[in-house]
Amino acid sequence: MARYFFDSGDRYDVMKDEIGVECNGIEDARRAGIEGLMDLTREFLRDVDGQQLFVEIRDESGDKLAKLTLSLQTQPVIKDLGRSHYAKPNPSKRNMAGR
Amino acid sequence: MAHVSSSNVFIRKLQNISDLTQSDIAVLESIPLQKREYRANQDLVREGDRPTHSFVVLDGMVGSTKLTGEGKRQITSFFVPGDLPDLHGLHLSVMDCTFSPLTSARLGFMRHDALRAICNQHASISTVFWRSTLIDAAIYREWVTNVGRRDGYTRMAHILCELIVRLRSVGRIEDHVAELPITQSALGDALGLSAVHVNRLLQELRRDGLISTVGSRFHAVDWTGLVRAGDFQATYLHQRTEQA
Repeated sequence: MARYFFDSGDRYDVMKDEIGVECNGIEDARRAGIEGLMDLTREFLRDVDGQQLFVEIRDESGDKLAKLTLSLQTQPVIKDLGRSHYAKPNPSKRNMAGR
Repeated sequence: MAHVSSSNVFIRKLQNISDLTQSDIAVLESIPLQKREYRANQDLVREGDRPTHSFVVLDGMVGSTKLTGEGKRQITSFFVPGDLPDLHGLHLSVMDCTFSPLTSARLGFMRHDALRAICNQHASISTVFWRSTLIDAAIYREWVTNVGRRDGYTRMAHILCELIVRLRSVGRIEDHVAELPITQSALGDALGLSAVHVNRLLQELRRDGLISTVGSRFHAVDWTGLVRAGDFQATYLHQRTEQA
């Protein structure tokens, strides 16, 4: 077992991991990172086109091992009248930076 | 530290949730306890078992746990000193969950036939045991809501608030400082979150000035803030006096 660090966030707000998580090698750390990214997505993905969420894995010596990124691309739906029915991006009150 | 002696801790717990008379206390004190020590994660009662005893937590922390078909563990509730986690075993003969110590723990086992005899003789003891299992059920209801509907940050703050109130009510902590040697992965299993996200949430709570941690020592530096962040109201714990 070794300690890996998982920085996470989006382009506006990064939480630098100062505690770390014990993992059984790099593959296990990668799996843990993906699970972390899934939780991060559930909590922080908003209807904001281009939003990118990531988890970046470092080892104990600070070397970056992997960066897992997920991004949202939305395409406007054009209805008969030619209007887009997509609302303007509306940053939620619980966005990453401002809770 | 207002450390309550181990054998008395379950009487104190029952006093917190009901009005015990001196004679009730004498009866409870007369129940023989077979004390045993456990290491963390050493299963003490398994799903499918037909236990002949119920236990009281004397020291440490115990979790009730369930495994999914693919082997994922959900911790469905925490139990702290004074709690009687498997009192339902008195009436439901086959265990429907597993109990595992989440830290090293000391437990006191009480024979079911002795408990039954006491309940038959003393309606007041029977009532207080019933009340205790009803409150356990209220805690399970709160946990379903917590894990199912609150976001991770609120969920984590909520569970920390609950632990602090419960530990304080049996005199195991003061000033919102608790020794909580639970692993991140156990917290994750209780919250239905990954270890990486649990790790992030603890650091968010720390960054927001609600908690501080040194090793396994955990301090709710801003109790009011933590209660607000955790959407926490202690009503479901049904304690006679609000201790926090």
